Amino acid sequence: MSRLGVLLALLAAAGQAAVVPAVVIGYRFEPGVESKMLAALTANIEPVPLLRVDAGLSFNFFQNSGLGGAEFGLGGVLYKPAGLVFRLDVQHQQWKDWRAGENRLLALLEAGPVLGLDAGIGLVRRVPVFGDDYWSPYVWKGDASEWNYQYRLRWRFIQKENWWLRAGLSTYDRFNVHTPQQLPLEADGAYKFADKLELVARAGTAIVGYSCGLISFHEVEFGAGVKYAF
Amino acid sequence: MLTRPPVEDRVQESLSGSLTAPGPVTVNRDSFRFAVFGDPQLNSNYETGLDRFGPEVAARDIDFLCVLGDFTHDAVPDQLDTIKLRLGRIGVPFYTTIGNHEMYQAGGWDWYKANFGPSCYAVIIAGRIKLIFLDTADGTIGPTQFDWLETQLADSAHPRFVLTHFPVFDGERPVQWRLASDAERAKVQSLLAKYGAYAWCAGHTHGLRHLKVSSVQHFTCGAMAPGKLDYGNPGYLLFTFAHDSLAWEFVELD
Repeated sequence: MSRLGVLLALLAAAGQAAVVPAVVIGYRFEPGVESKMLAALTANIEPVPLLRVDAGLSFNFFQNSGLGGAEFGLGGVLYKPAGLVFRLDVQHQQWKDWRAGENRLLALLEAGPVLGLDAGIGLVRRVPVFGDDYWSPYVWKGDASEWNYQYRLRWRFIQKENWWLRAGLSTYDRFNVHTPQQLPLEADGAYKFADKLELVARAGTAIVGYSCGLISFHEVEFGAGVKYAF
Repeated sequence: MLTRPPVEDRVQESLSGSLTAPGPVTVNRDSFRFAVFGDPQLNSNYETGLDRFGPEVAARDIDFLCVLGDFTHDAVPDQLDTIKLRLGRIGVPFYTTIGNHEMYQAGGWDWYKANFGPSCYAVIIAGRIKLIFLDTADGTIGPTQFDWLETQLADSAHPRFVLTHFPVFDGERPVQWRLASDAERAKVQSLLAKYGAYAWCAGHTHGLRHLKVSSVQHFTCGAMAPGKLDYGNPGYLLFTFAHDSLAWEFVELD
């Protein structure tokens, strides 16, 4: 993977690949569970037409401090006018203080944006890992392993020359994959304040719902940062 | 949670000392048995699978029960009073914890605490095992209860069983009915493993399931709901303590 990273960096430097790195600082709170600062470094890369590569690292501060997650994804564009992409995404998330981690493989079919809408559907194989191997991205078996379905539906409801706002549902992002029992709501946006440079922000929550319509609000996460398009 | 006291409020009231928790039952300290199940879920026709459980008590020499919530389907007062009566008729002591169905009505918590006491409490049986009853009726644990759970688990003098409504893990193709949050599940499991808990016993999913995660047994203990169940036949989990050893078996009532 490191050789691929070097290759992509060289392609970017040579102007042969579209590379969009971002740095985001944020905060995550879940009552009784965790309260931590987050920092994430991500990059979206298009090394050749119709191939998309993305990668990222996230770090926790003040609780479970240290590496919080890592992600690497590959996407193939199936039908460009509809933005139809098939993606495979590998994620590792960990909680250092708890000696707990989770490895995930996502298979996703994503489309859009079309008329401001983007959507996704897919499956995730999640493998919780506890104890000595919690940090390892190589453990792919365990009694607590499971399959979950994933979905996304978001609407960019304001699109101006220099800024946009979007809201919707998404069970997955770069470093998190929700369970079917959570209804994740999110809103994000961006403001282009210089050539190739954007301020980005995102806020999300998850409603825990169960039978008979009883619901409770659960986690809250928000972050802001900058994104640069080489 | 909308219009209902959320888990944090229920737990604070439960731990305030204003509610009386059930005390330890009297059993032979060298040999005893107890059954665990959830979801009797008495319905509007006053039906429950609990009636099929009665003969098991004598046949298997069961000393006491743990009933893991969802006593009725609708939590209306008449159903609640009926199920309490039927539980009493089984003839052995029982411990309870609260389920999400108890919260279907605005007065559900009031009924529960008036009839069964706190929704989280711990009891030591015959100086042999510790039962930790947890309130997960909202599908989450909450800050106060997390701290309390850790305190209870840290007392390692006896094998510790956590008994509650929601499972933590639910198998390869899980339905929606378990603790929702990934981070919460990671934290719970890490506490259970850190302090060497013996088992997490849950209801909610109407079936019998067993997983071992690290050193911790995770049971979905079966249900006594009426009619054909979503994930198997009615059944229960039977624990036997004998000669310093613990054994478990699933008993299916087909």
